[in-house]
Amino acid sequence: MINAFLVFNGQGQPRLTKFYTQLETSIQQRLISEIFTLVSNRAPGSCNFLPLPPLLAASGTSSSSSSATEQNDVPSLVTYRHYATLYFIIISTSTESPLALIDLIQVYVEALDRLFENVCELDLIFNFETLHATLGEMIVGGVVIETNMERIVAGVRAQGAVAKRPVNEGSRGGGGAGLGAMAAAGFQGMGGNFVWHGR
Amino acid sequence: MFEKSLYDLIRGLRNHKGNEKEYIQNCLKECRSEIRSSDMDLKATALLKLIYLEMNGHDMSWASFHVLEVMSSQKYHQKRVGYLGAVQSFRPDTDVLMMATNLLKKDLASSQPTTITLPIAALPHLVTPSLALSLLGDLLPRLTHSHASIKKKTVVTLYRLALVYPEALRAAWPKIKERLMDKEEDPSVTAAIVNVVCELGWRRPQDFLPLAPRLFELLVDSGNNWMAIKLIKLFATLTPLEPRLVRKLLPPLTNLIKTTPAMSLLYECINGIIQGGILGDGEDFSAREEVASLCVSKLRGMVSVNSDPNLKYVALLAFNRIVTTHPMLVAEQEDVILECIDSEDISIRIKALDLVQGMVSSDNLLSIVSRLMRQLKASSSALAQQQNGLEDLDDSSDDGSGRRAKSPEQAVPLPDDYTVDVIGRILGMCSQSNYANVIDFDWYIDVLTQLVRIAPPPSSRDLDSDSSSSPKSVDISEKIGNELRNVAVKVKAVRPAAVRAAELIISRLNADTVSSHPVVAGALKPLTFVVGEYAFQLSSADDTLRNLLSLVPRVDYPEVLATCLQSIPKLFASVAGDDQALWTSERKSSLSLLMARVIHVLEPLTQHPYLEVQERAVEFIELLKLTAEAASGQAPSTDEVQQDAPLLLTQAIPSLFTGWELNSVAPGAQYNVPIPSGLDLDEPIHSNLGSLLAQADSLMLPTQGDDEFETYYNQRPEPTSISSGPAIERLVDAPEEVSSSYQQAGEESYLDADIVARRKAERRERNKDDPFYIPDMSSNRTGTSTPIHNILQKENGPDLDIDAIPIMSLDLEKLSVSGPSRQQAHQPRQPRQKIVIEADETLGGSGGDSGLSTPGLRPGYDSENNSDSFNLSKAAKKPKQKSLLQFNSSVLGGLSLTDEQRPDDGFAHERQQKEEAEMAQAMKEVQRLRLEMQRANERIQVAQGVPSEGVAVVKKKKKKKVVKADEGEGEVVKKKKKKKADEEGDGGEGVVKKKKMKKKARVVKLDEDEGEQVGKSIDEER
Repeated sequence: MINAFLVFNGQGQPRLTKFYTQLETSIQQRLISEIFTLVSNRAPGSCNFLPLPPLLAASGTSSSSSSATEQNDVPSLVTYRHYATLYFIIISTSTESPLALIDLIQVYVEALDRLFENVCELDLIFNFETLHATLGEMIVGGVVIETNMERIVAGVRAQGAVAKRPVNEGSRGGGGAGLGAMAAAGFQGMGGNFVWHGR
Repeated sequence: MFEKSLYDLIRGLRNHKGNEKEYIQNCLKECRSEIRSSDMDLKATALLKLIYLEMNGHDMSWASFHVLEVMSSQKYHQKRVGYLGAVQSFRPDTDVLMMATNLLKKDLASSQPTTITLPIAALPHLVTPSLALSLLGDLLPRLTHSHASIKKKTVVTLYRLALVYPEALRAAWPKIKERLMDKEEDPSVTAAIVNVVCELGWRRPQDFLPLAPRLFELLVDSGNNWMAIKLIKLFATLTPLEPRLVRKLLPPLTNLIKTTPAMSLLYECINGIIQGGILGDGEDFSAREEVASLCVSKLRGMVSVNSDPNLKYVALLAFNRIVTTHPMLVAEQEDVILECIDSEDISIRIKALDLVQGMVSSDNLLSIVSRLMRQLKASSSALAQQQNGLEDLDDSSDDGSGRRAKSPEQAVPLPDDYTVDVIGRILGMCSQSNYANVIDFDWYIDVLTQLVRIAPPPSSRDLDSDSSSSPKSVDISEKIGNELRNVAVKVKAVRPAAVRAAELIISRLNADTVSSHPVVAGALKPLTFVVGEYAFQLSSADDTLRNLLSLVPRVDYPEVLATCLQSIPKLFASVAGDDQALWTSERKSSLSLLMARVIHVLEPLTQHPYLEVQERAVEFIELLKLTAEAASGQAPSTDEVQQDAPLLLTQAIPSLFTGWELNSVAPGAQYNVPIPSGLDLDEPIHSNLGSLLAQADSLMLPTQGDDEFETYYNQRPEPTSISSGPAIERLVDAPEEVSSSYQQAGEESYLDADIVARRKAERRERNKDDPFYIPDMSSNRTGTSTPIHNILQKENGPDLDIDAIPIMSLDLEKLSVSGPSRQQAHQPRQPRQKIVIEADETLGGSGGDSGLSTPGLRPGYDSENNSDSFNLSKAAKKPKQKSLLQFNSSVLGGLSLTDEQRPDDGFAHERQQKEEAEMAQAMKEVQRLRLEMQRANERIQVAQGVPSEGVAVVKKKKKKKVVKADEGEGEVVKKKKKKKADEEGDGGEGVVKKKKMKKKARVVKLDEDEGEQVGKSIDEER
């Protein structure tokens, strides 16, 4: 199962937080900052998986001695992807496939790109409701329900028009540019049959 | 207009860089009043802003009632905000949830699909058992809604309901199964159901075996890779229960492995084969052999040097799973796995380390540890550079936005957590099975010396920080010290080397740290024990004592201080206690100076708040004062009069510490010591202990003032006589050009220069009389020297240029035939003396767990600070420590889906216990009756001449039933059987009764077994 889906930028400011178990706000923030420290220290060309942050590791590793089935309930995998200025994080249990999670993030980013037409960080800042809606079409309660982009986009659009970023915020300057372009570059072969390309 | 929209808020945040805190506080204040407004638009906007701020860490739990208000809005876009607020901010203790039930019911029944979606998607975040109970009825019809998206979300939500309220699944399962079986169903709904079944599957695989044909069909036909991955994961949990599945699965899986273009699917196929135990033994051996080699070769390809880092990572994950069942297969891949230890990616390193730890042996220990050491060394020197460069920038860049500057060329310093982890693993690997894998203890001591220098300081007083860091509470530096102490105690052969290493570390610690800084190295504690206990083996007890004395006032931790205090008199005894030396005036004055110094250092500690420190300080001061008096009273010997040193100095004090040698004691041995009969541990030591302690608490440690005395001693030149090798070695060391062997290159790359130098000197010393040993080139002027050369040079004197004489040059390749070359310096260097490693001592009898076995015979013995055993015991102590973010699906474990008739009941466990008690009673009754019957029977049978078989029959039938039995079925089965028995019973009275009894007994037996099983599974879950 998926335990949490997080988006934050290169400064560690959260853009989307979704925890599929109820957690105190302060602990959420601690977890985010721990993961941010881990993720921002990654060398280029590293793999897309993080070691467990201390908050999770404290309880996660000690349970390695308990039975294998118990292990399936414990978050044991932190997958991330880095697009332009943003980090996308999925915390999951071992019942999820690690490589498929990398693709899941890709699908999410591509869906956002489709919805916003060349998405950038600013879109996400000002439309965080749409971020939630899009995620809600893909994951419910920690279980993936949809991976087909057409359906995801249609599902979000059915809930109402997707707003664009405010006009006077205009120029795609600042930290905003190029998320969509990155998404397109990372994932050419999306035609229904999902193929994992690596890098 | 006064109120802000979300846009305004965000824009404002961006425009108030610097004083965001103030801005946010103002916004929160505005939101507080806006959300109370009766205008729904305003309310919803305020809520949206609050949700945004909550994402940034500003609590909004106070607004939960207003969230409900917005949820109940008529307008969809407002309602959506309300639900979002609920999802993001409701916590287990949110109490307004009770009021939401009707609202949720209403929205679930809405005519608008978008509105129905809202509660369905929100429920997994909010659900409680009571909410689940009351909403289940409203949710179930949504499984057949015309919209596929609502159907699939409902499926998942029902699963989440079942996690808190298992009975929900019993009601929902038939319908979900129907959806799954329906071939006309929307494929995305099917995929969602497969995902849910996969989650359920590992909890209760036996319930999903009947679905296997349909799942298999989906796997082969669907062409959906996402779903195929989940199906394979599901099958991996089913195959152990149904071995016949393996034969069916193998062809499609091998086919997928060979053909699929999707790497993720390929990986999951391999993973499924591993987890499903398909690799394991079986009748169709050749086919499996083929699969195994296919999988392992694919994984090897993934791990190998140039592959994608993600593939490396997941392949290591897979190897980690294989290694438990097929260690041989993994061991064959040792070369590529070891490469991963050096990967620049920490995630990959950690996974590789996990693997390597299980693969370590005496053959590869050295190379593995060398690799790790090289990493640590590189990182620590990089860190040192960085700190020098960024010392003053550090504070400014610390606030959240500070990203550490990284230059790609230089080695990136490793995070402390990782360093600590690696050090722990090195210690663990070396100390495994009482040092079974360590061949060269000198090497190990050098590694430990280096580790002490590398070890990161404990992070911000671990000792008194919160409990979340408790697993780390044993400072890693102390662990390293403990290892050194263990070696010193257990391996007598290298004790001198260990003692000198400890001496060196202490002197370095004293020299390196600034005199005003507190000393935090936990290694000091075991090390001071070593230098104290084996003081006679020190190269200079005098210098060590002086170092220790200057360290003591700077030690922070009371436990460390207490050990230091114990070592000081031991050292003093060895410095001063020589009864052979003459009592000269020189000796007299130097000793009285030394005693004055010791007393001066100990004096402040007599007021220490930690009792142990205080007590030891007081004891030793009094002792020393007496001795000083005695010493000053004893006139020094002159040329005429021979005077002996005072007996107190030469006899009394040393005798305090000599006696039995201290050996290591097994952790549990203490339990085996019988408590003396006269000892009452509950009796208070002092009638008024409380007030005494209160007084002690109020005492403060006097602040450290640096008086003249202190400065006088600190001005002394730092000790130089400690290094054991001649000074020239250090000079020679640097420009050394000799091409050295692989192993030596390794050492130089991870050990500090001085350690290497010392090591070489020692090696030369050891081998100087060994004719087969070729001395270190660096100590000779010529490059091609042989033992003969040496001898000749000695004989002929240095003037003779031996190299000018044409002789056959020595081929190093051939040398290995006649004697070991330097390249194998570590193994057959000399007939390796058998190193005796003492096992921990323990007492006979039973008591603590670890005291049970006899010393030396325990194969799995680990040294006391081995992290594994530490963790294990910890895990055993509080196994129910729940992880953050963890789902708890254990409730599902007790739920059977195949048994539909069982009455719904939330308190299965309690009921079961009650049943058990009833059954136990019934059982007794039955046994009594049966005995009577049997006796009666025997009487009849004896009369008729037929052997009695009643008991055997019962047993036979019982077996059959066990197979059919299902958990918690007892009640039903019992009733059924009774009925049956009644129906059957048409014979005479006695026969009916007997039959009934038999049936009853069988049922009872059944239930007993189940009870045990349930009990066991509950125990496991804890």
